[in-house]
Amino acid sequence: MSSTSQKHKEFVAEPMGEKPVNALAGIGEVLGKRLEEKGFDKAYVVLGQFLVLKKDEELFRDWLKDTCGANVKQQGDCYGCLREWCDSFL
Amino acid sequence: MAALSNKSDQEIKDLLDEYGIKHGPVVDTTRPLYEKKLKEAMAKAKVTVTKPSPDRTFYREDQEEVTYVTCQTPVRSEGPSGDGKPYMRSRPEYSERDRVDDKPYSRPEYSERNRVDDKPYSRPEYSERNRVDDKPYSRPEYSEIDRVDDKPYSRSKLEYRERDRVDDKPYSRSKPEYRERDRVDDKLYSRSRPEYSSGRQYIDEPHVYNTPSSSSSYSKPTPVMKSGGVVKKENTTSSGRLIPLWIQFLVFLIVAGFLYFIFTNMESAESSPFNKIQ
Repeated sequence: MSSTSQKHKEFVAEPMGEKPVNALAGIGEVLGKRLEEKGFDKAYVVLGQFLVLKKDEELFRDWLKDTCGANVKQQGDCYGCLREWCDSFL
Repeated sequence: MAALSNKSDQEIKDLLDEYGIKHGPVVDTTRPLYEKKLKEAMAKAKVTVTKPSPDRTFYREDQEEVTYVTCQTPVRSEGPSGDGKPYMRSRPEYSERDRVDDKPYSRPEYSERNRVDDKPYSRPEYSERNRVDDKPYSRPEYSEIDRVDDKPYSRSKLEYRERDRVDDKPYSRSKPEYRERDRVDDKLYSRSRPEYSSGRQYIDEPHVYNTPSSSSSYSKPTPVMKSGGVVKKENTTSSGRLIPLWIQFLVFLIVAGFLYFIFTNMESAESSPFNKIQ
């Protein structure tokens, strides 16, 4: 049994298209808002950042923490979600 | 050092490489992150330069000479082996290492090494070496360490965490001919006897308990049931049951009685369920 959330499963099940940044696992309303303010208004922009950071976990986690103040769990969820999405669709 | 924000992207990249920080391209969105990382790395470098920390790895050089505590219990049911280790211990993961003389070991899994008499033998996995009396038991991978030399068991286990030690914990093993638990040296080893169930913490009703640790005499020498194959359990203590044996028996009887009661009180099935109701 995986320990991923429903949100995660939904996100990695299909191409993200124009999904908002809230659709990412680990990113809720508050964090989503902060990201949008910084210019990351769509999930694919965060994906872009993830890729620019070479899909490195530590760098992405740090970046997420600095940008929107995500805690460890949220960082992990978001990272896992994006990584799995990339494994399937990239 | 000039402010990081004044540096060009290339310079930032070079600095990152210099500090050995893993990074991707330096772009608008990643720059602040890398600047922060560089700042931390610089601060750390400065700190370490000013304060060289003495790096000493301590390790415990236990030069303890083997001080064996010979526990010789006058009453000892001498098993087949003179020193009474008739059972074979098959403890796959038992690492009895630190025997008394425990040299400053740094052995990942060494089994038994420093014996008192310090035999220079090195056995891959079984380190039972110098048994003086050469016990007849075969230990598959038992790393029972060394007997000092015909002391039934003398070890000064300093860090010997072998539970059952010397004072012969009431470890009950189902050894047909071996009746004892209280071996002087009583190593609590789980015998690789399938039927041995002593020391099992769980209630295993259908299994025959070979030995309630307290009973030294085995009533069932033959392996009644191989309980789940070989159970190598090394009971550390003979009385290691979570639930006393009598309670287990009692529960078993209650359940059996209950089932019997139900069974006898069942209504017999009608031969034909389709009787017309008059």
